[in-house]
Amino acid sequence: MKEKKQISNKTIVLTAIAGSLIVLAMVTANTLWTSHKTTIATDEAVSTVSSFYLEEMADRRARTVTNLINNNFDHMEKAVAFIAEEGIDSQDELRDNLGEVKSLLGLNRFALVDEDNIVYTQYTTYTGRSRHAFLSEVANNDRVITTVSVYGSSKQLCLAIPTPDLTLMGKPFKACFVQLDINEIVDLLAFDDHGKTHFAIYAKNGGNLSGTELGPVILKDNFFEALQNIVTENVLEKHRENFENETDGSITFDSGEAEETLFYVPIQETGWEMAVLIRESVIQDQIRDISIRNLKTSRYQIAFTFISVLALATVLLLQLRRFSGQKLEEEKETSRNFKHMANTDSLTGVRNKHAYAENEAVINAKIHSGELEKLGIVVGDINGLKYVNDTQGHAAGDRLIKDACSLICEYFKQGAVFRIGGDEFAVILQGKGFETMQEVIDDFNNKVEENIKENGVVVSIGYSVFEKDDHRLRDVFERADSMMYERKKELKEMGAKTRGE
Amino acid sequence: MKNDCKIKIIIAALSAALCVTSCAPVPSDNGHGEEASANEQASEIMQETVSSAVDFEHELDSYVPKKDHYNFYFTYKTVHPWWDAVALGMEEAQRQFLEKGVTVTYEYMAPEGASAEDQTQRLYEAEKQNFDVIGVDVADEEIISPILDEMIENGTKVMTFSSSDAKDGCKRIAYVGNTHNYQDGADLTEALCEKLDYKGKVAILVGSVGAPCHEDRARGARDTIAKYGDMEIVATEYDMDSVDLAYDLTLKILKDCPDLDGIVCCNMSNPVGAARAVTETESDAVIVGMDHDVEALRYLHDGVIYCLGVQDCYSIGYDTIQVAVKIADGNLPGELFPEKTDEITTVIYQEDAALMLELLYGDIL
Repeated sequence: MKEKKQISNKTIVLTAIAGSLIVLAMVTANTLWTSHKTTIATDEAVSTVSSFYLEEMADRRARTVTNLINNNFDHMEKAVAFIAEEGIDSQDELRDNLGEVKSLLGLNRFALVDEDNIVYTQYTTYTGRSRHAFLSEVANNDRVITTVSVYGSSKQLCLAIPTPDLTLMGKPFKACFVQLDINEIVDLLAFDDHGKTHFAIYAKNGGNLSGTELGPVILKDNFFEALQNIVTENVLEKHRENFENETDGSITFDSGEAEETLFYVPIQETGWEMAVLIRESVIQDQIRDISIRNLKTSRYQIAFTFISVLALATVLLLQLRRFSGQKLEEEKETSRNFKHMANTDSLTGVRNKHAYAENEAVINAKIHSGELEKLGIVVGDINGLKYVNDTQGHAAGDRLIKDACSLICEYFKQGAVFRIGGDEFAVILQGKGFETMQEVIDDFNNKVEENIKENGVVVSIGYSVFEKDDHRLRDVFERADSMMYERKKELKEMGAKTRGE
Repeated sequence: MKNDCKIKIIIAALSAALCVTSCAPVPSDNGHGEEASANEQASEIMQETVSSAVDFEHELDSYVPKKDHYNFYFTYKTVHPWWDAVALGMEEAQRQFLEKGVTVTYEYMAPEGASAEDQTQRLYEAEKQNFDVIGVDVADEEIISPILDEMIENGTKVMTFSSSDAKDGCKRIAYVGNTHNYQDGADLTEALCEKLDYKGKVAILVGSVGAPCHEDRARGARDTIAKYGDMEIVATEYDMDSVDLAYDLTLKILKDCPDLDGIVCCNMSNPVGAARAVTETESDAVIVGMDHDVEALRYLHDGVIYCLGVQDCYSIGYDTIQVAVKIADGNLPGELFPEKTDEITTVIYQEDAALMLELLYGDIL
């Protein structure tokens, strides 16, 4: 019959660790797989969403400019109405009023123009035909919106309306206008962007009006010149037409490092195109950030789980070790107790015959190896034990044995005392016990002889020492035993009782 | 301010000297490296030339105005983009004074066509209105100078500015603007003569009759051409600062002299009109002219115009307001400002045109 294998602590620990690792590996793999699939799905979704997002961004910015233009036109009408009612008679009054409406309505460089093209601002009056060419268009239009490139490379958006009913200082006035610095419009547009998207405003010829960079490829360059080596001529032509016709459009191109997507929409009445560009799209980046954050969280969770399992396994292992140690200690204690019990005489507490046999084996080994040099044995026998047993009972006999043992132990403190029979003892003397052996024996014998007179414990002893010719301990023992019998006779003659009595 | 100008000139001269020194041939065993280095240096010089032609960075000096409000009157030759550029410099100074709590108001007026009579009338009208200072870009030095003297006699503070000063001996307080119109004309014509290898037929488009700046440049041109025996002036015409008239006059000159070799243009309008006519007739005439008109700069870029002398209008305008405030406070030329504040003219060529267009007009619409 095949023997069943016992499950050890080691097996349990290894199984626990292996199980934990497998669970961890599965959790990790599952998390990574989920993240990967999420990223792919996100990329696909973002491609679709980003164009809508871009369009919304471009539209929002274009509407901001349109609202700004409309607000300025509204404010200009209010300003003209206000000034018309003031009954202005002098240039100083006009300047004061211009300053007041500018301040009240937030109009930037608000000016009135008379029929001779003299321009009146808060601080200056000047002839303006050559400077403001758009003034020639005002009479035929309700509103004029013109982009002006000013000496010094700044660009302005000029908004003008006719003022057919306005007469000041006795002169008919034909128009009013405001000049919006495009840099200020750009500042207005750069809202909550955080630099993640790029935008620029373009003229119909692709010239950059805003001075802003449309990404790392187009930069501040002319829109069409920047793209001519990136997209085909046909594509470029289509977008030229879009600019010319003031319609919207989008372009996706590979910049060499990443895919760029831009969308442009016309800004009403200005002839401008508002273009917005996102590199790899903000949405993509943002969602990827979310994925990365989730992945990071999963990694933390895995790490936490791993550490927790590891800590648990460690605690378990330590508990098992402790438990095993305790069990081992108990077994050792039991073994020691058994051994003690096996080697100890239960009545007297000294070593028994079994212990003597073990010692005898050890000493014999030393004799054989030549290690043993000095050793003495005292063999003792209790006189009168049988008599006590027979006359006073075994309890009294046991007491005699104990008293005899105590007497032997009292004198042979430096020897190993063994009870090797019912009334027989042996004392093995080595070292200092051997050195003082004769003296102790004499004292012991004197005591015994005194005990005879006092009816005390009488123990007959014989002794012998190890001699070179001895092959075993038994040889020494036998000489001592013979001597003990001689002593027994001697003590009997002195009045000591013997077994037979 | 004169000192500032001197410093500018010294710095420019040192820069040029450094550039020339650094452009000097250096022994090298790598021909390509030498060429690339030379190209880089040439490019740097070109950029330096263009960017220093017009100074848009100005700051008021430490002078503390005595009043918190000044009211000036300025009149110039004719409505023209050149003076619009001057106006931008004036507005910058006005803005900076306002930041310091000093309000500067002014009228900046001109007729549609250059006219000494119109200017005379404007000056008399302005004199009645108690302006702190009256500034004049002299339309005709012979007619206007006596009027300015008369105004000074009457206690009116008068200065001249921009392109044309009054004639020598006029009592006007100070002048801010180009003081080297003759030399500008001579320099442009010298460049033309060199281009034509010092032989050929040349026409001169002057500008407005009697306008000192135009007349001085024309005089510089005539004197330069006179130095070379194989060069001949075949026509001298006044376009009265009108592009259209300059165009018509050039067509007429080319019709009368189809083998015309060159045209010297003495103001900002006539190089544009001349270039239009030369392009239309496919003439080989080489054009040299003045200033920064955007159309002229494009013709320069395309090689139709050979070179242009660009004046720093912005600085002229800025300095005019600053000097006017000091004059209004009763100061006279001396430590606070010079009697003539000189402004620079920079001759630019085809290779400078794109950069100048970018500098002055950005990415053109």
